[in-house]
Formats: sequence, structure tokens, C-alpha cells
Amino acid sequence: MRKQVIRSLYRKELLDILRGKKTILMMIVIPLILYPLIFVGSMLLASSVLTASTSRSYRVGFEGLSDTDAMEAFFESHKEAHHYSFIYYRPDTPEDHEKLLRDKKIDAYLTESVSENRPSYHIVYLASETESKTAADMLRDILMDYRDELRDRAIAEAGLDAEELLNPILFEYEDKSTREESAGYFVGMIIPFLLITSILMGAVYPAIDTTAGEKERGTLETLLTLPVKNLELIIAKFLATSTVAVSAALLNILSMLLLGIFMADSMLNIGSSGMDLASFIPAAFITLLCVMVFAMFAAAVCLTACIFARSFKEAQNMTTPVLLVFMIGGMAGMIPQLKLTPVTALIPVANVSLLIGEIFRFHFEISQILMVLVSNLAYTGIAVVLMTRFFSSENILFGDASSGMKLLESRKDMKKGQIPGIGDVVLLFSMLLLVMLFAGSSAVLHFGLFGVALQQLLMLGLTLFYAWYIRSDGRKLFKLKAPRPAAVGAGLLCWLGLYLICQVWGTFITELFPSISMENTEALVSLWKGQSIWFLILVIALLPAVCEELIFRGFLLAALEKRFRPAAAVILCGSFFALYHMSLLQFLVLLPLGLFFSYIAWKEGSIWPGVIFHFLNNLSAVLLQENRKAIADSLPSVAGDVPTVYGQLLLLFTGIVLFAGGTVLLHIGKAGKKA
Amino acid sequence: MKIEAQGLCKVFSRIVDGEKKKSGRKEDFFAVDHVDLCAKEGEILGVLGPNGAGKTTLLRMLGMLLSPTEGSVRLLDEKAGTIDDLVQMKRSIGYLSENTKLYGRLSVRELLHILGRIYDLTEEDEEARIAQIISVLGMEGFADNRIERLSTGQTQRANIARCLIHSPEVYIFDEPTLGLDILSSEAIVDFMKKEKGRGKSVLYSTHYMEEAQYLCDRVVMLYQGRVIADDTPAVLMGQTGSDNLRECFRVLMSKCGSGEGQDA
Repeated sequence: MRKQVIRSLYRKELLDILRGKKTILMMIVIPLILYPLIFVGSMLLASSVLTASTSRSYRVGFEGLSDTDAMEAFFESHKEAHHYSFIYYRPDTPEDHEKLLRDKKIDAYLTESVSENRPSYHIVYLASETESKTAADMLRDILMDYRDELRDRAIAEAGLDAEELLNPILFEYEDKSTREESAGYFVGMIIPFLLITSILMGAVYPAIDTTAGEKERGTLETLLTLPVKNLELIIAKFLATSTVAVSAALLNILSMLLLGIFMADSMLNIGSSGMDLASFIPAAFITLLCVMVFAMFAAAVCLTACIFARSFKEAQNMTTPVLLVFMIGGMAGMIPQLKLTPVTALIPVANVSLLIGEIFRFHFEISQILMVLVSNLAYTGIAVVLMTRFFSSENILFGDASSGMKLLESRKDMKKGQIPGIGDVVLLFSMLLLVMLFAGSSAVLHFGLFGVALQQLLMLGLTLFYAWYIRSDGRKLFKLKAPRPAAVGAGLLCWLGLYLICQVWGTFITELFPSISMENTEALVSLWKGQSIWFLILVIALLPAVCEELIFRGFLLAALEKRFRPAAAVILCGSFFALYHMSLLQFLVLLPLGLFFSYIAWKEGSIWPGVIFHFLNNLSAVLLQENRKAIADSLPSVAGDVPTVYGQLLLLFTGIVLFAGGTVLLHIGKAGKKA
Repeated sequence: MKIEAQGLCKVFSRIVDGEKKKSGRKEDFFAVDHVDLCAKEGEILGVLGPNGAGKTTLLRMLGMLLSPTEGSVRLLDEKAGTIDDLVQMKRSIGYLSENTKLYGRLSVRELLHILGRIYDLTEEDEEARIAQIISVLGMEGFADNRIERLSTGQTQRANIARCLIHSPEVYIFDEPTLGLDILSSEAIVDFMKKEKGRGKSVLYSTHYMEEAQYLCDRVVMLYQGRVIADDTPAVLMGQTGSDNLRECFRVLMSKCGSGEGQDA
């Protein structure tokens, strides 16, 4: 990377973006003019509706009351307290009140009957008419006053104190939060959403302009004639987009701030005088930092979405889902139950929304802030790296999206024996995630262990369908080749060693993070109770071994191998496998196994060793669980409830020796055909 | 040897039409099929051929914009090994085609300054070079106007200025005179002749046969991705017994069993 090149390209991008009329429109006109207009407009509208409803006189009719004059007198004497104003409609001859109501001659009317030995009043109105509904509410308020007054009078006549009788206890709220805290609570709900949407709005347009816009204007080929690396090109575009997004966000903040001060001062008459604005300075500073980092993230995401687009229109279509997802994530700050935890700190968009919310409520921790910032930077980095890979000149010149998703092409167009691309992997895994979250979890809920089996089969079915649809060669894609017997033997030693190491590793992690102990496993184990051992072996050991290996070491690994260097492919495949178990504990425990399965599948070009070891691994879990007591009794030092350090070290040592021996054996002799 | 292609191939896939059963399927084909050519110092090499013959793809590979499926490009007797080499080699090339549009929102001078930076010129060199280019190409009148407001001829001159800023050894011009009036295309032709006189190589594709006949030291004729002739215009005309390049081209094409010569 050469700074000078990036600086020149950055300058070019910024000049290009800022001289586009549309950009200026999006960046300046919308935040500085449109937002205030919308806000002030809706405020004015709301307040005008409010004043209209109380300033107007409502026409009410009385029908068949026992004492109409007394009721009217009561209304007159109590309307002031509510700021109501009535016009009474009392025709000399009886008329059809309902018709009058429908003809809007009157807004509501009151009738009286007797039920349960008491007078019973009916307020008749039309809920579909705003005026009528308001009038009815007013009538109810006054009638309630009337009821209270009659009641109090009756109690007083009986020689009792109405106030004491009706309110035997007293209570009141006492709010200990400072004004700053209450204001922060409110601001923390709204600001994150507004900020996130405005940053995104600021990022979308330049992202489209520098990618699809350049393609449409025909300047990309010019750019390609320059001695510039892809990375430099992408970084310049990324920096320019981020700059515009940050500026747009700052303009938005400024606009909101001015609007807030204006509204507080002039319309609500609260003023900010009583508030110590200085206490917001650290919060504002951290928010600013968040805004910067998030703008970079938004810029990277938008650019990634637009980079395949061939035209402006296509790019706009691509960014629409991004907008939706961001908005939903931005609302996370409004959900009171949602808190910033180590898990939510990793969820893009939502983490920033939550963090800004917490900052304004004054309870933030440095570790959380760091986690959010670092995770955002990491996602940004990943997006930039992905873009440099996708952004090849072939793609730019021909708008070739072949690295995208094959499912979008018709099946008859496909070449036989294809290996899926990264786009396919992303698509398939999003589908698998959906299947797992919705169909899978409800199946487990309803059918217990059968549901677990069903979930596995569904996921395998989906993967096989995808592979069939893209006409891939099943033998090659899923590495169905028979393995070398020697490799299976050596692998077995490795696995045994790794198994022991993982036991120690698992114990270590459970000790380290006791809070996230075996919740998952316990839930699963509760399903096991009362099942026959053979059924357990089938559902817990055999099915996952086959299904998960075909999905991860078959489909996923093949796609990754095509795109990345072997080491990267194996690491990614192992990590995805561990991630898929959706818990931090499981991730850490399963990562070594996932890496090993991926490695041996790559090295031998065969899926079977992985299937066998995966089966053995799960089988041992089943057998251990079933015979836990017997084992704990016979080997208390290693398998007891309280593991001893000595036992653990022994296990670890044996494991390492076995693993090392297996690894050596695996590499001796002729290696299998590398896939 | 300034620039040389050795067994250059580019494979694309296209959707087949025609036969019912195969219709809609994708198949691979050679857009450029094992092409060898070279341009020497002080030589204008014409690349001629009908539409779809693979001229643009060939020139894009020579300009390091596309990577070849097979074969290699040697530039100034160097071969690209890594991607970084490829990026460095672009410094010796001035590439112009109808697809290399300019940034309409920048002025010519701004564009040249930015490019100067990218090509690593020092500030003083850059100033001097830009002033020189502006006067050579007669752009004083519009150097500070936004490019989107320029006429076609002015834009093409700005585009040539873009190729000139780093004084490359090799120029690759893909149909540079297409759609220009006589004065503008004469300016470009003069430019190519002048650069040839200074010992640079010019690779140039065109549909205008008269222009090629009078300008090119040698011509390479492409047909369906293959080279069907590579010699001086005089020799080629002699071989085919025709008195102009247009006629010569038609004869060569009909030898290859096609009547598509008309659109050349």
C-alpha cells in the first residue's frame, strides 16, 4: 500500500462524490432542511389537533334524564375544571337522537335508565368520528365527577370521612434520578436509531456512486489502466465513503441538536437551564467515536453490497435489504429488556445502538465500549478484504457476478460438476440457519429427540438439494472417495489424543467461565432420559456425524478450498463448524475438533475419516452420559465430579503423545491425493 | 522489443443459442486464441479485424487490464510474475479506448494532477509536465473546465493527455478516432506519428482502413480470435493482389471462409 496513491485516489473520489448534485442533496438538504421540517411540521400538526379538540365547543344532547336541568347545572359547574365547553341540545319535542348523531347535529348524547336499583347512564356516540369520541370522553369525565360527588356526599351523611374511608393508605413516587439521567434515558432510546439511520443514509449514496456510478459513467476502465492495486483502490473508495457518511452523521447530529434546543426552548418551555450539560460531554465524546467507527462499518457494508451491481438501479436494489436490516438493528436501543452483554456486543448494528443507549444512561463499562468498537472494526476489515477479493478486473469490466450465487441462475444454464462459490456458501448457510432456528427448534420442542433427527435430515436435505441444483459432482464435492486405511488408523490415534486434550480443555474452560457452564448440554441430556441406547446412538452419534460432515467437510470445505489457500480454508471450515453450535462454550470446546476434521478431510481428500471420528466422538459422549456413575467410580481422578490437577495433567500428557504420534504416522508414507 | 504477446489466450463463456437441446446452456469459447505479436521501437502496429474478432480483449490483455487465460505478455523485455509486477508494468503503458471515460466532475487540470501523484511524479515535474501537455495538445482554453462540459473532440484530447502524463513507452489505443470529426482525428493521428518519431511503440486498432493503410508500419489481422495475417500493409496488399487495405482484408477474410468482411 502506498499512502500517496491512496491519498490521490481518495481526493479524486471525494471531489467526484461532492460535486455530484444528488450527493449534496442527500447530505445537506435532507438532514438540515427536511428533518426539521418534518419534525416541526408534525409537532405543529399535533398541537393544532390538540388545541382544536379542547377549544371547540361540543354539542351534547340529553334524552330521558330524570332531572335534565340538574344535570345541565352540574355540567356547567364542572366543565371549567376540565377546560371543556358544551352546547346543550334540548329540543322541545322529542327527536331521534341517533339520527341527529349521524347527521352530525350533535356529537354525543346521554340517556338514563334504571338497573340494579340505581340510575344507569348511557353515553351514546360514534367511535368512528373523532369529535364524537372526544365528546363521549368528556361526558364520561364529568359523569365520573358526578358519581364521586354523590358517593362522597352519601359517606358524609353516614358520619364518616370519605377521604379516609376511600384511601386507607397513601403512597407517592419519589424519583431519585437526576434530571440529566432522565433526559439521558429518553435520549438514549431515540438517538441511536436516528444516528444509525442517518449514517446509513450518508453512506449509501456515495457507496453507490463510487461503485455502480463509476461503472455506469464508464470511468472504471480508466481507473484500471492506472498502476494501482485493488487494495489501494478499495481503501480509497472506502475512506471516501466513510468520510461522507461521517460528515452526514455530524450534520444530522447538529441538525437534531439545534432542533432539540429549539423545541425545548420555544415549544415545551422546559429549557435546558436546570440541566448540567457538561455531564453529557464524555457521553457525547464516546458517541462521536462510535459514530466514526460505525460510519466505517456502514461504508464497508454498503460498498460490499454495491460492488457487484452493474447499474445505479441494481445497486439501489442491493442496498434496500441492507437499509432494512440496519433499521431493525438500530431499534435494538429502544427495546428496554435488551442489554449490552458480551454476546450482544458482537451483533453488528445492534451493538452500536445498545452502546449509545447505555452511554446516555451513564452506565457503560470500558470493556464493553472496547468490545463494540473492536468488533465493528473487525467486521469492517473483513468486508474490505472480501471486497478486494471480489473486485477483480474481470468483474468490473464484464459485471460478471459468477462469484455470487449460483442459485439465482437457472439450472439448465449451469455447467456440470461445479464447485459452489462463496456466495453459494453464504446463501446456503443463511438458509440452514433459518431451518435450524425455526423449523428445527420447533421440531425439537414438539418431537423431542425425533425432532433433533428431523432437524439434521432437513439440513442435509437442503444441502444435497443445493448441490444437485448447481449440478455439482457429488463424489467430488462431498469427497466420497474411500480413504487410505493407514490414514484412518493414524487419524484414529490423532483423534483419541485430541479427544483427551479436549476433555481437559473443556474442563479448563468450564472452570474459567463458570457462568456459561453446560446449559445446552443439560437441556439436551434431559431429552435423553428413558430412550433406548440404540436410538440415542442413532440420533446423537450417527446422524450428526454423517449430516454435519457432509455439510461442513463436504459442501463448505470444497467451496472454501476453491477460493482460499488450504490453511485458510481449513481454519475457516473448522471455525464455522464450531460457530454453528451457537454458544461460546461450545465454540471453544469444538474448535480443535472442527479444525482436525477439516484438516484430515482436506489432506486425504476424503470425508470418511471425519465421519468416523465424529461418530466416535459423539458416541463417547452418549456412552459417558449413560454410564457416568460407573466410570466416575472406577476412575475418580480423571472422570470424577471434582477433577484433580494430577488427573488432568495425566490426560493432557497422554492426549498430546497420542496426537503427536498420530500426526507423525499421518504424514509418513504416501499422502492421499490432495483435493 | 517494446511489447510482445506470446501464445495469448482468453476464454469467456457465452450462452448458446440455436439447437433446441443445448440452447440456453453456457459454453466456453476462445475470444483470443493463441495470439503472438510484437511491436518494436518506433513502430505503429495496427490491429484490424471485424467486430467480435477479439481486438478489444487482446488490447486489454496487453494493457494489463485483463489477465490472460493462457500465454503471457512481455513488456520492455520483462514478464509479469506477481500482481505487483503487473501493477508496476502499467506505468509504461498509455491505454486509451472508447471505454476509458474521464471523470466528468473534475477539470482536466485536476485530473492530471491526481494522475501525476498516482504515477509518482514529483511536484515540480508534475507542474512542468502538465503545463507542457496542455500547450502541446492546445488545451489552454478549457483546461480548467469540468470535463462533462467539454465537446467530444476536447474530451478526446483530454483523454490523450491522461495517457501522456507519465510519458509511457508503449501506447495502446483502441479505436481512438471512432466518432471524431476530421480535425480531431487528424490531431490524434499526428500525435501517434509524433510519438513514433520519438521511438515509442503504438498499438492501435481501428475500423478505418484508409487510416490504417497510411499510418501503420505493420498490421495484424484478427479473425475469430486468431491472427490471420501479420506484415506491412504493402506486403499484404502484394500477396492478395489488391491495391488497398480494405480490399486486401476482404480477400483474406474470404479465404477463411466467411463473408463477414463487409462490416470491417
